[in-house]
Formats: sequence, C-alpha cells, structure tokens
Amino acid sequence: MLPTALDDIRVLDISQGIAAPLCARILGDFGADVIKVEPSSGERGRSLPPFHGNDPHPEKSLFFLLLNLNKRGVTLNLETNKGQSMFKELVREADVVIESYAPGYLASLGLDHASLERENPGIVMTSITPFGQSGPYSGYKGEEIVTYAMSGIMAISGTTDREPLRHGGVQSQYESGLNGALATAFALLLRDFTDEGQHVDVSMQEVVASTMVIEQPFYTWNGGVRGRRNPEGAQFSNIMPCKDGYFISQPGGGATWEQIADFYRREELKEPRFAEADQRSLHGPEMDEIILEATSDRTMAEMFKEASEDYRMLFGIAQTPEDLADCPQLESRDFYWDVDHPVIGKTKVPSRLFNMTEIPSSYRIPAPLLGQHNLEVYEQGLGYSRDDVVRLRELSII
Amino acid sequence: MARLPLEGIRVIESTYVFALPYAAGLLADLGAEVIKVEGPGRIDTTRGGAFGGAYADNVIGDDPWNRSASYNILNRGKKSMVLDLSKPDGLAVFKELIKTSDIVMENFTPRVMRRWGLDWPNMKKLKPEIIMVSNTGYGHGDGPYSEYPAQATTQESTHGLTHITGYRGDIPSKAGQSYVDFLACWSALLGIALGLRHRKKTGKGLWIDIGMYQLGCFNTSEFIMDWMHNRNLGRRMGNRHPWRVPQGCYPCAGDDDWCVLSVGDDEEWAGLCRAMGQSALTSDERFATTLSRMENHDELDDIISNWTRTLGKYEVMELLQDEGVPAGPVFDARDTNLNEHYWARGFLERVKYPENRKLGERALISRPWRFSKTPVSIKGPAPSLGQHNRELLKGILGYDDERCDKLEEAGIIATTPTNHQSPADLSMDELVRRGRLAYHDPEYKQKMGL
Repeated sequence: MLPTALDDIRVLDISQGIAAPLCARILGDFGADVIKVEPSSGERGRSLPPFHGNDPHPEKSLFFLLLNLNKRGVTLNLETNKGQSMFKELVREADVVIESYAPGYLASLGLDHASLERENPGIVMTSITPFGQSGPYSGYKGEEIVTYAMSGIMAISGTTDREPLRHGGVQSQYESGLNGALATAFALLLRDFTDEGQHVDVSMQEVVASTMVIEQPFYTWNGGVRGRRNPEGAQFSNIMPCKDGYFISQPGGGATWEQIADFYRREELKEPRFAEADQRSLHGPEMDEIILEATSDRTMAEMFKEASEDYRMLFGIAQTPEDLADCPQLESRDFYWDVDHPVIGKTKVPSRLFNMTEIPSSYRIPAPLLGQHNLEVYEQGLGYSRDDVVRLRELSII
Repeated sequence: MARLPLEGIRVIESTYVFALPYAAGLLADLGAEVIKVEGPGRIDTTRGGAFGGAYADNVIGDDPWNRSASYNILNRGKKSMVLDLSKPDGLAVFKELIKTSDIVMENFTPRVMRRWGLDWPNMKKLKPEIIMVSNTGYGHGDGPYSEYPAQATTQESTHGLTHITGYRGDIPSKAGQSYVDFLACWSALLGIALGLRHRKKTGKGLWIDIGMYQLGCFNTSEFIMDWMHNRNLGRRMGNRHPWRVPQGCYPCAGDDDWCVLSVGDDEEWAGLCRAMGQSALTSDERFATTLSRMENHDELDDIISNWTRTLGKYEVMELLQDEGVPAGPVFDARDTNLNEHYWARGFLERVKYPENRKLGERALISRPWRFSKTPVSIKGPAPSLGQHNRELLKGILGYDDERCDKLEEAGIIATTPTNHQSPADLSMDELVRRGRLAYHDPEYKQKMGL
C-alpha cells in the first residue's frame, strides 16, 4: 500500500451539512483517520437528497455518502457534561477538529478552540461558516443563494433584462469544503515546525468572493462596475442550441478565426465584420443567425470532437449528469471509486479531485452508519468497558 | 514575529491566466519567495485584454502591461523574470533556477513540457526533491480529452454546470467567470501543503497533476449520483430551491438593486411575514405549508416583490436577518469594496505601489481563511515586467553584469514585451455604452479613501 499524506493525523468531524463534512472527507481521502461525531439523531446531512431509490431513509442519502466517505462514525451528545468530557478525551488523541456551528455555540459548551487547546496545545480547529467568526454579519444566517448574492458573483450572472441568477447546485458549499481542507493542511504544515495548533476561520462568503478577481479590483482601479450579460447579439461566446443539445465556443485556443470559420463551414464568417474582434461585437445578431443555421443539424459529440481535435478550438458542450456518469475521460483519471455500502450496496462515488504521485488520494471505507464505530472508538480507543458503553447509550450520551 | 507556513520556500512558476498565477500569489502571502517567469513574446494574458479587467485610473500609460487590475491582484508579492524559454540559453537558465527551487508550477500543454524535457519524468531527474504542479484542462494521461485545448468558460458546460444553471425553463446559462480556474487554484494549494509535509517526512518530491474538468464535475456530484441511482437528470430552476420555499431574487428600491431570501420552514415563513408586516399571511391557506407555498410560489413572489420594491437592499437584509430569515443584498463590485463586514475581517487589504509604477494605493482581496496565530498578509505589490531579472540572475545564479548584458542583447531576458499591441483607449462612458460596464462611479477614490 502507498503511504498517504496524512496517515499521522486524526480528525474529529463534528460538522453538519455539506461544506465542512466535505472538508473532513478530503482530509480522509488523503489518509487522515477521520471520526465523524454525530448527535444520536444523526446530523442533518443524513436528510439531504438525493436518496438511493428516492427513499428518504437516514442511511440512504447519496449526498451523505459522498460527503462522508473514508470516515468512521460515532454518536456523542455534546450538550451533556459527560459528552463534553468524553469529547475532550477524544481531542487529546486528535490533531484536527472540523466544525460548522454558528459562531459562539461551541464556546457556550466550553468546546471552543481556546478551551480545547488546554487539553491539547497542538489541536487545529477549522470552522466553516457562512460569514466567518467575526465581523458585523457573523451572526447572520446563510444559505447558498445568500452566499452567492453577497459574494458579488450573482451581480454578473444572468442577463441585463432579468434578475441576477445563482448557479445550479451548491457551488459555494463545494468551494468552501476545498478551502477548509487546504487551510487545515497549511495549519498542519506550520504545526510541524511550531508544535502549536490554531483556529482556522473559513468564511463561505469570502470563498466565493475570492473568485471575483476581475470585478473587485476593477472598482478600486478605476471605479468601473461590471454587470450581467446583454441578452441581444454576440451570442458567440454564449451557449447556443444545436441538433441534440447545447454548445459553447470561444475564439482563441490553437485556432485562428479562419479555422473557426472553416469548422462552421461558413465562408461569410471570414468577412471583416466577423473576423475582427471589435467588429464582431457590433454584428452579433447576424453572426448568431449564421452559426445557429450552421449547427442546427450537427450533434454535440461530433462537434466537440472535431472542434477540439481537428481545429484546436476552445469548445464546450452542455453535458448532463448522464454524460458525466459514463465519461471515458473521468474514468481515465480514476475519478469514480467503487464503494460497497452496507445499506445502499455497490455504487460508484465521485472522488478523485486531482492526481498526485507518491501520496494520491485513495478509498478505504464507505460513509459510516449512525454510531457504527461507537464500540471501536470508545472501548478500544478511550478504554471504556462494554458495560460503560451500554450505560452511556442508556443515558443518551452516545 | 510568528512564523509563516512557507518561510524559506522558493517557488518558480511559469503560469498564465487565473488558476496557478493566483495560487502562486497566495503562496507569496503564505511566506514563499515566488518567481514568476514569462516569455518576452508571451506575457501573461491578464496583463491586458478581456482578462486584464481595468487599467488603473483608466489610463493606459507607457507600460499598460503593468497596469491591469487582474494582473496586479493575482501576482501580488512575486518577483518577475522575463525569460525566453523557446531559446536554448533561456531554457538553460530556467532549469538552473528550478534546481534551486522547492516548487515548480506550470500550465503549458503536455506537449510543450515534453519538448523542453521538463515533463515529470525529466523534472524528477533534474531535481528529485521538487514538488511540481501542472494544471491542464483535462489532466495528463491517456484519456480521450487529455490533449484538448480548454478554458473555464467552455468547460463549465462540459463539466455539467450549465445544464443545471439558468432561468427556470430556459436554455442553459453561462455561469460564473472562469469557475474551474479557482477550483484548480485551491487544489494546487492543497496539493502543495500535503506535498511539503510528505517531503519533510521522506525527502521525496512529487508531481501534482490537476485537470480542471474533473474538479468542475466533482462539484455537480449529487446530480451525477441522482442520475446513477434514480435516473433523475436534474433541471434548471433559476433562483428557486428544490425544497426551500419561497426562495428568490427580488427587486429593491434603486436602480438595478436586488435582494435574495430563502425560507426553509414554517418558523422562517412566520419571520418573513412579520418582517413584511403581513402576519395574517401565516394563516392564509394558500401559503400554510411548504407544499402549498411551493404550489403558489408565483403568487408569493408577487407579494414579496411588492414589499421589497419599497425598500433598500440593505434594509431588506436587516429586517429579515433580525427575524431569523437568511437574506442579503446582491453585492456588485462597489458594494464589495465598501462593505464594512469585509473590511472588519481583513478580507480587503490596502496595497501601496512604488512611485514609479504610477498606481497609487489600491484595495485587494486577501484570502478567505484566517489563522488565529499566524498573521498572513499580502506581501507586496505585483512586480513590473522583468523587474527582478538581474537581481535573480546575480543573486541566485551568481551571474555578473556582463553575462546579464549578453542575455539581454540576445533578447532572452527583457523588461518590455516584444509583441505588445496597444489596447483601445476607451473612456469610462464609452465602456458603459459598449456594455462592458454596468456603470462607473467617478467618486470611487474618495469613497475608499484612496
């Protein structure tokens, strides 16, 4: 077996939902021993659709499976004194705590970073919250659309004749999970030199806002503010329909404009009104018409292959989840891992983010059932007797 | 002074556009010495054109390639070297510099690195302890798309994001700008932190091979799994949510001002009704349950819009957040730059440029993470083109002036680009007229205290 990047690291994941559990999963993929600590009712991620067989059962959430691969799972009631002291026992043997509670909640339980580092000075705590741990909005409630709006990206998404538009899915959650993982990794790298842990504060609003590298400096550079796209004309560079779906093409890549015109098999595109970039924006609607007509009987797959291979164009096609589920490029990159889950059964789970020699990410165990590793962690790990564990269960502590 | 995570680490990068230039800029924030290498005939694409964004004070100036906003935010805190890698002597210098570095970053097509003998098998021989980061559209390897040209805007369709992005019932919509570039940027940082820990333990280098496509695909994972298990293809639902209702983007008083809100349960619904001063709605059977609210979403949107239209977007946020309802204004770039929360958290940092750059002082995005015991900050301005040519050749490689002169005469090092085309000089009003800007604010400097 290959060595892993984080095989010396234990992570306690007391987080909920999407972003922070994903952060902990990424650390698990790179070899950390991640223990997911849930309340006895299960964290709310277990109720996230989609479900296997559309059955809203707490062990059948496919999203939960995705976000909690490579973790062991225990239950622990952090709102009881005994639960808190047991958590501190776990912290003494751990390196990282991942959490996503509203700022101030863990402090009210005596489990904030300042309290935990008295148990273990090397402990790193990573908090992922909508607006961060400090500042006037830190107590505000977040949601995907709110993060999107207040990051600045919605203001440039959609068209000028309509309202700003959020993106599909939960992009801010995924983005924040990745940022949580990288910030935790840097805190661990630093700890290798200083032996000191610290509190890492990740703001989801700022994660998305960090992508505004054209817009934010634009204003401070000259006062300019960009907006949404004009719906009329210059559709080239936007998404256009073809025979069986949609495509998008942009100038550049390895293709000259002449070659792009050849790809579309339309000589008139070589006329100066289209060939010159400045002219193109003035003749958008005419150009749209020519290209729409030229592609109405061509398919996505055929155009993607020809444009990319024969013309070296920048070309995309609007692939669906069905296309991605069966994509040879993703297969070649070991993107899906084969997982056998005790309730869901055998399935493929999207997994590999990027390739790395020496210490690649790898699969070990499926997402935990609720409390699946209670005995293992409390009995073998913390030295409780089987009777203790039974009693703790009766007292609703685990 | 607290130790920074990357103290003593040297990074050499020859990378373009957003993903890895940004990652390297953040490495500089984290304490690394970062050397950016560009070709005299191939300067970074963010130094002008569409990717460059704004020119400082909208003045093109004598050195426009040093004045664009995007270049300056992405490349903060670096040293700049212009080196012609297409000439053997230039490539030799590059290899010598790599030998003195800890991390090398590149986003050339796989063919180019092979031709230069700088692909991973060769790189490893050149410097076994090096951590190499490669970023390509589809990743290296034998996959069918590995050699395809790519950039984020066309990839966001191919990786599945536009299929689920768009107004309700409408065609797929272009999503963000360069979305996967940022995913690649963050992945590079993660890989580097892990790689450096591994190197510290084993003394071994490694290669991080990022393909932007799979990062984009990963972020639609729940849709892929829904297809695999339930044959559900997902759909475009605009600003609505599959089970939170009402959710949307609503007009506010003011020109093109908008707010968003999202209601997840009966408690938040009651909060919204109280904020609107229409508590009677909670007993209206059309909206009594999540299911009935879902059925009457259009009607509900009208009621909410009629209320939000009378208020400023920040007022809506405050009224709703006070009632425990997730809500906020749609920020444009002016809102972002003037926002008290961002400033209070240090998300924006002021950067002062040297006199001769004629850029004054500006505010830049810092980082979305804070370390409680490690004060990280932007190390300094982005360098001017080739600013550190001689300093690096003399300081690191021990060259003398004569040797530097020869490289300069041969056009291998330079401080001006060989193929620069002057950009069109358009007034701010003209930029608005052409639709490149929504508006411009002549008082931005006063407002920001710059």
